[in-house]
Amino acid sequence: MNALRTMNHDRRNQILTALAIVLVAVLLVIANMTLSKYHLRLLNLGGIYVILSLSMILINGFVGLFSLGHAGFMAIGAYTCALLTMEPAEKAVNFYLKPIVPWLGEMHMGFLPAMLIGGILAAIIGFLIGWPVLRLNDDYLAIATLGFAEIIRIVLTNLQTITNGSLGLKGLPKMEIDVFGLLPESMHGILVLNLSACIWIAVIITILFFVRLIRGSYGKAFKAIREDEIAAEAMGIDVFHHKLLAFVIASFFAGIGGALLGNIMQTIDPLMFRFLMTYNVVLIVVIGGIGSLTGGVLAAIIVTIFMELLRFLDASWMLGPVQVPGTAGVRMVVFSIILMVMVIFKPQGIMGRREFSWDWFLSIPTQIKEFSLNRSKKEASADSKKGCE
Amino acid sequence: MKKISLMLVLVMILSAFMAGCGDSGADSGALPEKIIVGVFEPLTGANAGGGELELQGIELAHEMFPTVTIDGTEIPVELAIADNKSDKTEASNAARNLVDSKGAHIVVGSWGSGFSMAAGPIFEDSEVPAIGTSCTNPLVTKGMPYYFRVCFIDPFQGTVMAKYAFDEGFKKIAVVQEVSNDYAVSLAAFFKDAFTELTGDDNCIVSTLNYNTNDQDFSAQLTDIKNSGAEAIFAPGNFTETALLMKQARELGIDLQFLGGDTWETPPLLEIAGDAAEGAVYSSFYDPAAPLTEMTATFLDAYAAKYGDEQPAGVTACGFDAYLLALDAIQRAGSADGPAIRDTLAETKDFEGAAGFVTLDENGDAIKPAVIKTVKDGQFVYKSFVEPF
Repeated sequence: MNALRTMNHDRRNQILTALAIVLVAVLLVIANMTLSKYHLRLLNLGGIYVILSLSMILINGFVGLFSLGHAGFMAIGAYTCALLTMEPAEKAVNFYLKPIVPWLGEMHMGFLPAMLIGGILAAIIGFLIGWPVLRLNDDYLAIATLGFAEIIRIVLTNLQTITNGSLGLKGLPKMEIDVFGLLPESMHGILVLNLSACIWIAVIITILFFVRLIRGSYGKAFKAIREDEIAAEAMGIDVFHHKLLAFVIASFFAGIGGALLGNIMQTIDPLMFRFLMTYNVVLIVVIGGIGSLTGGVLAAIIVTIFMELLRFLDASWMLGPVQVPGTAGVRMVVFSIILMVMVIFKPQGIMGRREFSWDWFLSIPTQIKEFSLNRSKKEASADSKKGCE
Repeated sequence: MKKISLMLVLVMILSAFMAGCGDSGADSGALPEKIIVGVFEPLTGANAGGGELELQGIELAHEMFPTVTIDGTEIPVELAIADNKSDKTEASNAARNLVDSKGAHIVVGSWGSGFSMAAGPIFEDSEVPAIGTSCTNPLVTKGMPYYFRVCFIDPFQGTVMAKYAFDEGFKKIAVVQEVSNDYAVSLAAFFKDAFTELTGDDNCIVSTLNYNTNDQDFSAQLTDIKNSGAEAIFAPGNFTETALLMKQARELGIDLQFLGGDTWETPPLLEIAGDAAEGAVYSSFYDPAAPLTEMTATFLDAYAAKYGDEQPAGVTACGFDAYLLALDAIQRAGSADGPAIRDTLAETKDFEGAAGFVTLDENGDAIKPAVIKTVKDGQFVYKSFVEPF
C-alpha cells in the first residue's frame, strides 16, 4: 500500500487498471465455468448494455444533446454484422420469399471485420444524419433523431432482397473469434474466444476508450459545450465539429452494441429496433446518472440483472406465510415503482456526475475511519448537550 | 422514508434469491417427480391479447389432464409460465429462464413468430423440445430440430385463400399488405404465387400496396385500388388496421370482396369495421361449427364450462392442442428426456387435437386442414373446409 502511494501517480493508476482488467478476466473465466447458461446470458446482455449506455452517455450526458436515435444505429450494426457473418446456405433458407441479392448472398467473413464494418457503417450514417440534424437543439434534436431512427427501421423493413424485410433473419452463427486466425493454418484454434469473451473484451475496450476520451481535451471541450455553448465557442472550441464527432463516435459504438445484441439473440428483425429499444438505453443512462461513465456501467449491469430477478413476481410466490397469486406484468409494475422511488429520492441517478477513480478507491479506508471518528464526535457532543439539559 | 424504501428493495432481492433456489431437477434417466411444461407466451406488451387467449387454452388443457403416465407411473404436470413481454430480447431471456431455472421438460408457445424465432436456438442448445401454438412463420421450425408446431404455416394459408378466390371466379385481385408484419408479407407473397399459377395470368394481381403498423389513413391505397380494376382485395394484416381499411373502403364507395387471414378473427375487427366487415372472407385454424374431431366437442364443452358460453378463438384451440401434444409425446416416449421426446414428437401422425388431426412433416410443421370463414350479421361464421394438400 505504501509503495503504491509513493509511486508516480499516473504509473500507479495504470498498474491498478491493468490489475482490475486481469481481475475481471479471471472472474469471467470462473463465471464461464460455474454459472448456468441463463446467468451467463444475463452477464453478456449486461455487457452489451454497458456499451450501449456509454455511447448514449457521450452524446446525452457529456455533450448535452438529447438524441434518441440509438435504435436506428444499432439496427444498422446488427444487420450488417448478421448479413456478413451468416453462411450462404443459411441465407438461402432465410430468404424464402424473395432471394437475396447475389453479391451479398455470397459474401461471408469473420466476426471481427463484420462487427467493425457494422460499427463503421453506423458511424457513416451517423455522420450523414448528424450533419444536418446537429444544427438543432434540445427537443427539436430529439424529435429529428427519433425520426431518423424510424426511417432507418422502415428502410430496413422494405429492403426485402437485402434484409429479408419484416421476416427477419435467423440462424446467426454463434460468435467466435480465432485470435490467431490471420496467422498460418497451424496456429488456428489455439485460442478461440467465445461469445462472452468477445463481449467483455469489447466492453473493456469501450470503457477504456471513453475514459481516455472524456479525460482528454475532447472530453473537456464536450463538457464545456454542455455547460454553455456560447462560452465554449468564445473560448475557441469548434462547437459543431465537436458535436458531430461525439455523434459519430456514439453511432459507431451503438452499431457495435447492435451487432453484439444480434449475435447473442441469433435472430433479428426490424421490430426489435423500435423506439422502445432506445428507451431501454435511456432508462439505464438516467438511472446511472447522466454524465457519469461509472454510473452507466453500473446501471447497465444492475438493470439487466434486476429485471430478471423480478421475474419471480410473475409466478405465484410466497411473501412469508402468504401466497401471492401470480399475475403477468407485476414485474413491470414493481420495476416502475422502484424507478419512481429512485427518481424522486435520487434524481441525479446512482452516480450523478461523479466518477470512479483510483484515488477515491484507495482513500476508502481513511474515509471509513474519518466517518466513524466524526460519528463518535457527534455522539459525544449530543451526549454533552443532554447533560446540559 | 429512505430507510423504508431500502428495506423494501432488500426484501425483494432476498425473496428473489429464495424464489431462485427452487428445484430445477431435469435429470435424465430416472423419472422426475413432476413434469414441467413451460408456457412461453407474450402476457404483457403489444401482443398480450393473443398470448392471453392461448394461455386460456393451455390452462384449460392442464386442468383436464393434470398428469402424465410414464411406464405405468402417474406423474403430475406443472405449468411454468414465462412472459416474453412481446419483446425479442426479453423472449430469449424468458426462454433461458424456462429451461435453465425452471427446468422445463417441454415448452409450448408462443403467439407471434418473432419470439419463437428468438427462443429456437436456446431450446435447441438445451435440448428441450418446443411446440409452437400459432407461430406461422416458416422460419420458426426450418433448421430448428427442437421446434415443432400445431398450426399450419403461412405458405399454406396464402395458397388456401388463393384457391378460394380462384374457385369464386375472381380474375383480378389487389393485394394490400402490412409491410412491417412478417405474417402479412409472407401470406401476400404465397397468395400471389398461387393465384398467378391458378389463373395462368401474369397480370392477375393488379396492384400490390403497402402500409405500416399503426397507420390510420388508407385513402391513398384505396384510391389506387379503385382505379386498378380489381375484383377483390386480399388484405392479410392485423385486425386494427384491416378494420379501418374496410371502413374507409366502404366510405369511398369501394364495394369489393375482402379476403384475409386468421388474424382477423377478433371481436375488435367487428366493432371497429361494423357493417363494412360484412361478407369478408378469411381462413382460420378451426371453427366450432365444424367439429373436426371428437376432441373438438370435449374442448368446446370444457371451455363453455370454464369461461362461460363465449366462442373460443382459434388460437385458444391451438394452445389446447399444443399442451395435449406435449403430454402425448412424453407418454409415447416413455421418458422425460429431451432428445427422446423430440424424436417421438417428430414422428407424430394423426394426433387428435381440438383443431383437427395433426401430422408433423419433416420440418416439424403441422399438416392440417384450414377452415374458411366469413362475417355475417356481425358474427364470424363457418363457410367451408379445406383439406391439406
